[in-house]
Amino acid sequence: MTIRQNIRSNTLLREMLAAEYVLGTLRGGARRRLETWLPEDALLNQTVNEWQGRLNPMSEFAPAVAPSPDVWRAISRKIGLEKSAIESRKSFWRNLREDIGFWRGLGMASTALATILVAVLITQPPAATPPVTSFVAMLHNDQSQPMAVIMGDAHHHTMTIKMVGQHTVAAEHSLELWAVPKEGNPRSLGLMKSDGSSMTIAMPAGTTPDTVPLLAVTLEPKGGSPNPNGPSGPIVFKGAWVQLTS
Amino acid sequence: MTATDPKQLKNWLAATARKDGEAFRLLYDATSPKLFGFALRILIKKELAEDVIQESFVSIWNNAAGYQPSLAAPMTWMTTIVRNKAFDALRRQDGAVELDADHFDKDVMNALESTDPTPLESLQMSSDAKSLAHCMARLESLHRQAIALAFYHDLSHSEVASQLKQPLGTIKTWVRRGLERLRSCLSKLEGV
Repeated sequence: MTIRQNIRSNTLLREMLAAEYVLGTLRGGARRRLETWLPEDALLNQTVNEWQGRLNPMSEFAPAVAPSPDVWRAISRKIGLEKSAIESRKSFWRNLREDIGFWRGLGMASTALATILVAVLITQPPAATPPVTSFVAMLHNDQSQPMAVIMGDAHHHTMTIKMVGQHTVAAEHSLELWAVPKEGNPRSLGLMKSDGSSMTIAMPAGTTPDTVPLLAVTLEPKGGSPNPNGPSGPIVFKGAWVQLTS
Repeated sequence: MTATDPKQLKNWLAATARKDGEAFRLLYDATSPKLFGFALRILIKKELAEDVIQESFVSIWNNAAGYQPSLAAPMTWMTTIVRNKAFDALRRQDGAVELDADHFDKDVMNALESTDPTPLESLQMSSDAKSLAHCMARLESLHRQAIALAFYHDLSHSEVASQLKQPLGTIKTWVRRGLERLRSCLSKLEGV
């Protein structure tokens, strides 16, 4: 029997070699030798696994720290998880929709909204057929500051967008307005004017609070989202799209 | 953060082996804070630890099919991957990483030093980690430190000896005895 076989057949010694291998104190030639035995020695392999099971929980003695979101992004990019990136964007919209109760609650009772609406409505130029405001949304930024008021006219199928807050957009970006339906992808309503002046656009059929409970503005590359199925950038303002009761 | 059920982790790992991205994301969310905290303790530098977690999860994605549930708990398997990659990163560093005296979370340290078992019970750790903490608490303080230094900092016997200012032979004995005692203490706990 060679020395090597002696070592390999000594149970106690094998146990300690495996333990120090896992701990890391088995070094140099002894470590390399054990590594050459592992693929052919199922029992030794099991002993090593058992020691990993005993010692690895020591890792939990360090306080847990959440890694930055960039780490997951880098991982999913590396392994090509684009598909689930779209899925997570979908669930983001789903979460937003679930938040709508909150926006509704804020709704029409808000005095700030009421005050601004009055101001907006009385500065409307007189028209041949006076516009009828059927739906309204007040869009807030994430500091809950009012940024834009959007009024929908169900008779003329138009919507008027009026900025009420200061928001500067870099030249290489555009702000894009979205209808966020209860189901399915957000639909683009158009780009906001870069100078922040008010504008009137066509209101697509079905843009009623029943089917589209939320309007949102995202920051996009100049010219709008390159993604045909929805926004590519972050939401900068959002608000519930509500029916005005007359 | 709560300790995650190993059965749930096994299911997610099995789904990850089938290239199920959503299960992989759940696995990541459930385990990355623990694993990142561990890597951060080894490497100290946030950027290095983040690189290690990134590499580790790419490796978990690629090798999930090779995970054998009968051989190791999911967390054990994943921790081994992270620890190996962290030590690789450590070796690539030019200078030695500064070793700080407190390797562990303060609460864990206090619980380990305490003779009262209640603090250990209140820690947010898996039951395996609690068992290990319970058994490590029963080791002599210097034996415990010798083992923790080797485990967390990839130190050899002689490096542990110089850290703890003890003769090499003493350290070898402490480590061996400490490991033997851990094994018998843990097997007693398992028997309960």
